[in-house]
Amino acid sequence: MHLLIQTIVNGLLVGGLYVTISVGFSLAFGVLDVIDFAVGEWVMLGAFVGVASQSWFGIDPIAFLPVVFVSFTLLGWLVAPLIYRVRTSHYARPALMALAFTFGIATLARGSMLTGVGFDPRTVNTGIVSGTLVVGGIQMPWLRLASFIFAVVATGLFIAFLFFTRRGLAVRATAQSKQYAGLMGVDIKRVSAFAYAIYTGLTAMAGVLICAIYSITAQHGPRYTLLAFFVVVLAGLGSVGGVLVAGLFLGVLQAIVTVYVGADYTLAVVFGVLFGVLLVSPRGLLRRGLAP
Amino acid sequence: MKALSSRQKLIVRAAILLALALLLGTLPLWAGDYWTRIWTGVAMWTGLALSWNIIGGYAGYISFGQVAFFGVGAYTTALLMQPSHHWNFFLTLPVGAAAAGLLALIVGWPSLRLRGAYFAIATWALAEALAQLAGVFGFTGGSFGISTPANPSTSFFYYIMLIAAAITYAVAWGLLERSRFGLEVKAVRDHQTAAQSLGINTTLVKQQALLLSAVIPAVFGGIDAYWITFINPQSVLAGDITDQMVVMALVGGLGTIWGPALGAIALYLVNTWFNATFGSTTGYIAMVGGLVAIVVLFLPDGIIGLLPQTRRLRLVRQLLYRSGRSLRPERGTPQTGGERP
Repeated sequence: MHLLIQTIVNGLLVGGLYVTISVGFSLAFGVLDVIDFAVGEWVMLGAFVGVASQSWFGIDPIAFLPVVFVSFTLLGWLVAPLIYRVRTSHYARPALMALAFTFGIATLARGSMLTGVGFDPRTVNTGIVSGTLVVGGIQMPWLRLASFIFAVVATGLFIAFLFFTRRGLAVRATAQSKQYAGLMGVDIKRVSAFAYAIYTGLTAMAGVLICAIYSITAQHGPRYTLLAFFVVVLAGLGSVGGVLVAGLFLGVLQAIVTVYVGADYTLAVVFGVLFGVLLVSPRGLLRRGLAP
Repeated sequence: MKALSSRQKLIVRAAILLALALLLGTLPLWAGDYWTRIWTGVAMWTGLALSWNIIGGYAGYISFGQVAFFGVGAYTTALLMQPSHHWNFFLTLPVGAAAAGLLALIVGWPSLRLRGAYFAIATWALAEALAQLAGVFGFTGGSFGISTPANPSTSFFYYIMLIAAAITYAVAWGLLERSRFGLEVKAVRDHQTAAQSLGINTTLVKQQALLLSAVIPAVFGGIDAYWITFINPQSVLAGDITDQMVVMALVGGLGTIWGPALGAIALYLVNTWFNATFGSTTGYIAMVGGLVAIVVLFLPDGIIGLLPQTRRLRLVRQLLYRSGRSLRPERGTPQTGGERP
């Protein structure tokens, strides 16, 4: 029983980071109408910027988070217009082409990093948070706790921005209907780029924390892409509320499978659940997503 | 250029085909072992790229897990050829194809009714899960893999691959370019609602297209397993294999029969040159990714779109795009030519 509670707590703490990644991912899908296959690569690239900050400059990666956020926001802001261009082009099948385009970017990132740093796993050590909090026999490493708090704060700020600011309103309107948002004077192209930029920044920061908790190799990108998909499909595409539940659920599911079945079976279980959800309720478990 | 009559065109085509067949048929006699092996690879990849093109280009559903079918074929052949079973090599190929077809039915069943993104995710998750499971199960030899019996000569495999590729192209050409089924597949891709209103069972058509595109890689996977004599999850279930199929079909030309062949020849040769020059495959992965992005941005019809005859095709597509826009109800998406993303 103690082990089960410990496992669930571990899962919830990591699940927070999945929520952060998936909220942005879901929103980027909403505004650009493209599933971003590069999401896991933003995690991976962010993690490696964290590694570089530690080994090159000797800066603690947690303290480096703001720099990671700014630089990846800039990168996302540069990439988004390209995706937008493909998505709204006169090609025969723009949605398909846009999907292929993000896939190309993802493969480019993975290949470049593999060439640059090789296959070795890397990790970062932070001195800012260390030690373990023990509550009622349940161990909570401060690093995981801090990551969870970071995830809650970042996601909370993001959602507050979406629902309480004028620009957030524009983003939500764009996600609902490009045509009507455009008629109301929303600059769709700029809003899409903006939302995509914020999403890449958030995802890269989550990547640094994931790298601190586990470790990461240049090959790990697709794994996180798959997990982000899992969360979004479970939540229903375009549903922010569903992401909160599904992200935490994924964290717990992963922890339980790792402890009780074996780490090698996680992807099979993830696929099994994904398959079942698509079969039974393709609009997500809460049935709040867009019609598929 | 003076327009040729249809009879003359037929003669020109037959002559080109005959010359090509003669050239490829005698290749092992004059090309030497090294180049025979390379062209064996080329033959395999032309078939694989075409298989991806059937679901990706013709049916309009991107599969990021095509390697799953390849791997299933490879493992089936390798397992059945173990000394304890001792099957004939040629008998294992249909079994592998059937297994891959079954897998395609299972994965397509929920996901082909939905938008393309769901299908892309489902196939990809399937491939990743299979790779992970093949690495832990005992009967597949775990991550260490299994070996197949020592095999015949280089030219044996060259001819097998060549014949398999030729059959693949003939079947795909007949089904997709010269039959009602091909028209149905394209109709569903270009405008699902319109196709449905004409009485086409869209889900069934897509399922059939997926079945066709799953059976092909399984056969090539089986041949590959016997050829390389040793398989493990990294060699036959790696995501890179799918990436390679995608880029070959894209570079060659989506939704065309000969595009994947052009793409496969060009990219396989580049890949071989890359490995020989730099001794590593990671740079090639980066190049593949960059190439996909560039082709999508600047050359969406692929190499084959540069040929003069295909201009007409482009025009038709643009017309489709315009009519698609007026036909289509507003769904809160950017304006696209009547397609489901």
